[in-house]
Order: sequence, then C-alpha cells, then structure tokens
Amino acid sequence: MSVTVAPRIVTPANAADTAATLAACARDGAAVVTVGGSTLQTIGNAPRRCDVALHTSALRGIRDYDPRDMTAGIEGGTTLAEIARVLAEQGQWIPFDAPLPQRATAGGTLAAGWAGPRRAAYGRPRDLVIGSTIALTDGTLARAGGMVVKNVTGYDMSKLYVGSLGTLGVVVRANFKTLPRPPTRRLAIAPVPEDLRDRTIAAIGGLAIEPVAALVIDGYSRIARYPGASLRLVLLFEGSEAVVERGTRDVRSALGRAGIPETLLHDGADAEHLFGEIVDAYIDAPGERTLTYRTTGLPSTAWARTRTSEALARQNGLHAESIADLRTGDAILRFSARTVATFAARLAALNGAVRAAFERATVLAGGETLRGSIDAWGPEPTTIATMRAIKAHFDPAGILAPGRYVGAI
Amino acid sequence: MVTSLASRLLEALGPDTVRSSPEDLAVYAFDAYSEGRLPSVAVIPRDVREAALAVRIAFECGVPVVPRGAGSGLCGGAIPAQGGLVMSMVRMNRILELDVRNRRARVQPGLINLDLSRAIATHGIFYAPDPSSQKVSTIGGNVGTNAGGPHCLSYGTTTNHVLGIEYVDGQGVIHHTSLDDPGYDLTGLLVGSEGTLGLVTAVDVRLMALPESVRVGLAAFPDVESASEAVSAIIAAGIVPTALEIMDKLITSAVEAHYHAGFPLDAGAVLLVEIAGPRDDMASGEAAIARIAQQHGALSWRSSADAAEREALWASRKGAAGALGRIAPNYYIQDACVPRTKLPAVMHEIERIAGAYDLQVGNVFHAGDGNLHPLLCFDRRDERAVRAVVEAGTEILATCIAMGGTISGEHGIGYEKRDSLSLVFDTDDLAAMGRVRDVFDPQRLFNPDKIFPSGAVCGEVRAAAVA
Repeated sequence: MSVTVAPRIVTPANAADTAATLAACARDGAAVVTVGGSTLQTIGNAPRRCDVALHTSALRGIRDYDPRDMTAGIEGGTTLAEIARVLAEQGQWIPFDAPLPQRATAGGTLAAGWAGPRRAAYGRPRDLVIGSTIALTDGTLARAGGMVVKNVTGYDMSKLYVGSLGTLGVVVRANFKTLPRPPTRRLAIAPVPEDLRDRTIAAIGGLAIEPVAALVIDGYSRIARYPGASLRLVLLFEGSEAVVERGTRDVRSALGRAGIPETLLHDGADAEHLFGEIVDAYIDAPGERTLTYRTTGLPSTAWARTRTSEALARQNGLHAESIADLRTGDAILRFSARTVATFAARLAALNGAVRAAFERATVLAGGETLRGSIDAWGPEPTTIATMRAIKAHFDPAGILAPGRYVGAI
Repeated sequence: MVTSLASRLLEALGPDTVRSSPEDLAVYAFDAYSEGRLPSVAVIPRDVREAALAVRIAFECGVPVVPRGAGSGLCGGAIPAQGGLVMSMVRMNRILELDVRNRRARVQPGLINLDLSRAIATHGIFYAPDPSSQKVSTIGGNVGTNAGGPHCLSYGTTTNHVLGIEYVDGQGVIHHTSLDDPGYDLTGLLVGSEGTLGLVTAVDVRLMALPESVRVGLAAFPDVESASEAVSAIIAAGIVPTALEIMDKLITSAVEAHYHAGFPLDAGAVLLVEIAGPRDDMASGEAAIARIAQQHGALSWRSSADAAEREALWASRKGAAGALGRIAPNYYIQDACVPRTKLPAVMHEIERIAGAYDLQVGNVFHAGDGNLHPLLCFDRRDERAVRAVVEAGTEILATCIAMGGTISGEHGIGYEKRDSLSLVFDTDDLAAMGRVRDVFDPQRLFNPDKIFPSGAVCGEVRAAAVA
C-alpha cells in the first residue's frame, strides 16, 4: 500500500504548465499525487503508486479581487493564511475553517472537501465556491462557473472537484464569494458533567443567538482548557459587539439554569487563536499512535456517538477522545494507545467495531502505519458505480492518486 | 415505437397515471417559454416506484424523458424539445419527513416551494430559497435550475440548501446521494442540471431558524443608476442585507396599480432592502443603509418592522413580472448576472440598448447579487418589435458577458439559451460538462436539447468527451 520509491517532485509554474504536466504523466502512465500544504494528506487511503508529486506552490496569488464585488479568484497553491491576511485588510474573509492555515492551501482545502465547525453558520467551502479552473489529464484546462455570485450556466462542475482528493484533476484556481469579517468574536468554555448532557443540549438549542460553533470536547487536553474538567463545552460567537455580548450573556444564564455555573470567556485575538487550535486538533496525531475518524450524521446524535466511541475504546483497551459538534453533526473520534504496536494489535477489532457502530465514519488522521492497515472509507456509497464512471471519464489512464479515494478509485 | 411506448406504459401504470390523448397532452407542450412541442405521452406518477418504472420503459423504447414541475420555467427547460415522455411530478408533492430538531426535511419534488415554508413556520423554521415563482414553482423544479430568489443574497441559492437527492437513472434504478456520504459530490452536480442527469424523486433540504427580527426599508431614487450605486455602496460597506431589490418606474407603476403596497410613483427607481437577524443589529443596520441611500441621492426612505406591511411589499415585488401585463401584451425577461460593481454601468447600457431599438424596458432585479432581469416589452403581433427584442436581448447578454458576467443567474439555460452557452464557455469547458452527461445519461435521453449547444459545437463536445 505505502509508497516505497521517492516520487519525482514537479512544481508547475502556472495553470497551462499544470495541464501539460498532467498530459505528459498520462502519456507515460506516471501516477501523480497533488501536494498543497500537506496538511490533509492523511485523508483517504495511501495511493497505490506515486511517481510524481505535483506541488502547487508556484500557483499562488489572489486575482480579480475587488472587495466591493465580494468575490475573489484564488490560485490553488495560495495559503489560507495569505488569503486571510489580504482579505482582512478589506474587512472581509472566506471562512475556510481548516487546520494549519499557515501551510494549508485553497486548492488543497477544496480538494480534501474540508468542512469545519463554522459551516453551520457560513456554509462549507463548497458553498462559497462560485467558479473554478481545473487542469485535466488530457492537457486541457476546464472552467466552470464564473465571477458572479449567482450562476446557472451549465453544470456546477466546481462541486464535483471539491472533495475529489486530486483524483479527477488539479484545481488551479477557484473563485470564491467573500464575506464581511465579523467584527467581534468570543469563545465561551464551560465544564460539563456527563449527567447534564441532555440539559446542556437543550440549553444550547434554546438560544436566540445561535453560536457559530458548538462543540463538546472530551480529552484533547491541549486545547480549550478548563481547570479540572475533561468534558468541556465550547461555544463560539461571532458578529456585532451587541449580538456577541447578548449571546454570551444568554448562554451563561442558560447554562447556569442547566446546572453549569462557570463559563470562561475569551475575546478577540485570544478567541481566534484558541479556536484555531481546536480546528488544528482535528488532524493532530501525536506520536503516530493515534487514529482519528470523522463520523457524520444528525446533529442530535453527535454527542451520543462520542459515548459509543468511548465504549468501543474501553472494549479494545484503547483510549478515546472526542469532539462532538452539536451544530453540524460531526463527531471527531480519536483513539490512542501507549505504543503503535499495542494499537496495531487491536486495530482490526476497533475498525470493525467503528464500522458496525456508525453509519458513516472515515479516517481523518493518524499514524501512517495504522492508517495504512485499514481502508479509510468504510462501506461504499450506493452511488459508487456512478463515481467510478466519473473517474474513468476524467482520468481514463487512472494516474491521479490511484486507490486513494472511496471504493479504491 | 411511440405507440408501443404508450401502450406499455398504460399496461404498467394505468390510464390515470398515463395520458396520451391529444387534449391531455396539449397541457404539457409548453412551459413559460414561448416555444413548445407536443409530447407523445405524459406520465403523472404517484410515487417513486411508478416514476422509475416509467423511466425504464421510456429508455427501453429509446424515448426522451422530460421532467416537469409547475412549468413556470422561463427558458424552455420543461418543454419536450424532441417530443417523448413528459414526467409531471405534481402528484409527488408531500413532505415525507420533517426533523425539526435537526432542521431538515425530505420532500417530494412536486411540493410547491411556498407550501414547504408555510407548513413548517409554526416550528420557527423556514426553507430559504424563495424564487419569485414560489407560489407555484416546485422544489424539484427549483433543484433543476438551482433557483435563487430575492433572499439568496445572504442565504445562498438552492444548492446551498440541498443536503441530498433521490434520483432515478435511465435503467429505472433509484439512487440516493448525501452530502454526508464519502465520494464525489453528486448532490452538487444534480442541482442545476436541469433534468439532464436523471429524474429527481426526493430532496433532502436544509431548513433554517426564522430570524428574530426582520425590517424592510424602501428607498426612492431619481433613477435606476443612482439606486444601483447605492446597492454597490451598501455591499462595499460590508453590509449584507438578506435582500436588495430594485424596481424601476415602469415596474412600480404596474405593481402599484395591482397591489397597492404603497410604492412611491414619482421615483425613477425604488430600492427594497431587507435586513434580518438578531434584534440588536436592526437599528444600526437600518441606520447605516439609510445613510448610504441618502448619500447616493435617495429622495425618501421608509422602513417597516410590521409583518403585514412587509409581506405586502414582498408580494408585490414577487408579482412584478406578472403585473407587467398591464403595460404590454408580451414581455421577454432576461436573467444575466454581473459583478456587483458593474451594476450602474450595465444598467446604463441596458437603457441605451433599449432606446436604440425603440423598446420599452422594465427593470426588476436582485441588485445585491448583480442578477438582472430586464423585461423587454413588445407585442407579439408586431414582427418588427419581435425582431428588435431578439436583437436587443442578444446585445444585452453580450454586454453582460463583456463586463465579466454570465447569461443566467437563476432561470437556467434550458432550451432558450443553449446556443449562448458557448459565449461563456469554450470547447474544453463544455467537454468537461459533456463527460458528466455521458456518465449519468449516455443515451442522452434525459431532457435532450437542453443546456448544451446544438449543432457543430455539440458535435465538438461529444468528440472531445469520447476522445
């Protein structure tokens, strides 16, 4: 499964060069893995072959950005931090909400189909993409959408490329809607006793000012610290000063009524930094002896899924940590052992149990050895035949990240 | 072939579901576009099983299947361009599941857009996409065209509110897609595909919490250009209202005569602004918008927090195109979309072009999105006027494309604009789309002659897709 020979690194200078590179690789039958900031390469299976590592680092820049249009054309290799910096100068942002923004690229974030905890409020990155240019293995560059915020001009091809993990082509440019950057941000962290779970969920559900993100974190001791508490509720408020102020006031009294008297508040840059650490933790895999799944489902079941994962960990002599997203329904489940070897001995049993317990669970991050021993995707979706046909039509030579995707695409 | 199709369908589904008499079929020849064609058979399925069976039989006979919702589409998306089977989804109009807590619902495609929001309002939630046709248009049709509406300025279009889709392929097999599933985003591909990739038989929609407060403001301007400048300035100030709509004098006078909502009749244009959200933001948001409007020459500003007054304003805005019947026997509505900063320039150009062709033009549009709807008024019996409308329309589209815009913001390409698609996309772009079509519908029997350009260009697309 794993790559044994070091791949040749190719760094195309521009979009046309990227397409030409893909065409040459297709001709030679050379397998290509696209590399952005290498922050989300742990998603999916290790490609069966990798002869060429296509780095997008030269495809950098923000084009056609007029803040008054609230749209921006962004080259695939541009880092999220650079985008944030340039847009912030105009009071705007694109809420990518992805880990490690200093390294992560726009193209990579889209290709990985990343969708973070803020999506309940702002939409997924896919929802903010209004156009794209993709380099294909036949050497062509195909555009879709445009630079306008409403567009029904042909198929919405950008949606197909988002989340395709480099198996259909290389996103050389994507056009985005930009949003006004919320002027005020506040993070509330509160300890939650497990027996107050239902009351906590009810308290949050009844808030007039909905938090942008609502997470319940268990373990992950380096983030969202609250002295003496393992289980913490983390609520992010963003918006005008008045709304954020009322949001935090309301949540404190609602939690107080639910039996949670204390809430720590963090403001501004502090809140942004702490929330960034939480998003980074989604893919954090300390010491190669961890494995993280993302399970998706109804928001009302997210917290319960983390309890199930704890039971599964106990049965297998492993340690479980989790982030339950009460707004999006994601539950991030991280399992760990003292050593890679002890984990490896229980891996098959754990993976089987995870597959049996959760309808949708995919591997998000973890030690390379552990990830390499299991299929990252779980059961194939019922539409797998259509997906295979799409792959065959876009990459007939099968050179793009072969085996990485769902159903061994 | 066709006779055997009708008889096979009748045998399988019965005469109540399958219609083939000429008087029954006449209903399915047209949508809201000007041209039409009689289908050879119409099927009105009651459930997905009947729909799937009908598709399978039609494909076995090599006959096209054209899905149809309310038939309110303006671009001929629902006309059977090659004849064949029209699948009317109107009987499949139920909310199958409602999950208030998780704010989602599974609905059938024939459900009328407004009926959904009305049915769930008591739970404090709503379905955000609200095309002006929402009193008649269906969720399935909205999915086909990725419909927008006044409120997509802040809420996004249909694609941002669809979580999954059930569809039937050409073999009559039922599939289900979900944004939660791993793999390619087939949901995103199906939305806006205008019935060319399969027959949508159920839609999982995202619902939103009703905003705590809503205010609607009405500003009067001396002309459309100054109103457009104000819109650009509001967006540039970092304010995203839930809706920013402009109507010019021709439209307001037609609307006012019909709805009596209280639009100022002396203004060259009115700007309708809605803000929604926590009550704490209302006063400051409204003040900022009023100030910008005044800076850009607003003659007056009136705001309303009253729900009845607000609804009257929206009802008249959404009925604007219909009210235009008071002014001209026929009108031709366009749907171009341009970058927001180009609005004043493009409005100026539209006025110039209409003047050059001696046409009366009305403008009612989603200004905040840069989505234009110039209505060119004419009388179908006047051949010279018909020619002028076609030529002026083409010129307006070319202007919008030259300004970095596109030819459809929310109505779709359908039959009408398919040959204009190559003004926006080159052969490589279209070939990529052609590959998707080949995957989903290699026989090209789902709604043929839609979206993709006809003739030579289409041949190139096919050749490129096969290569």
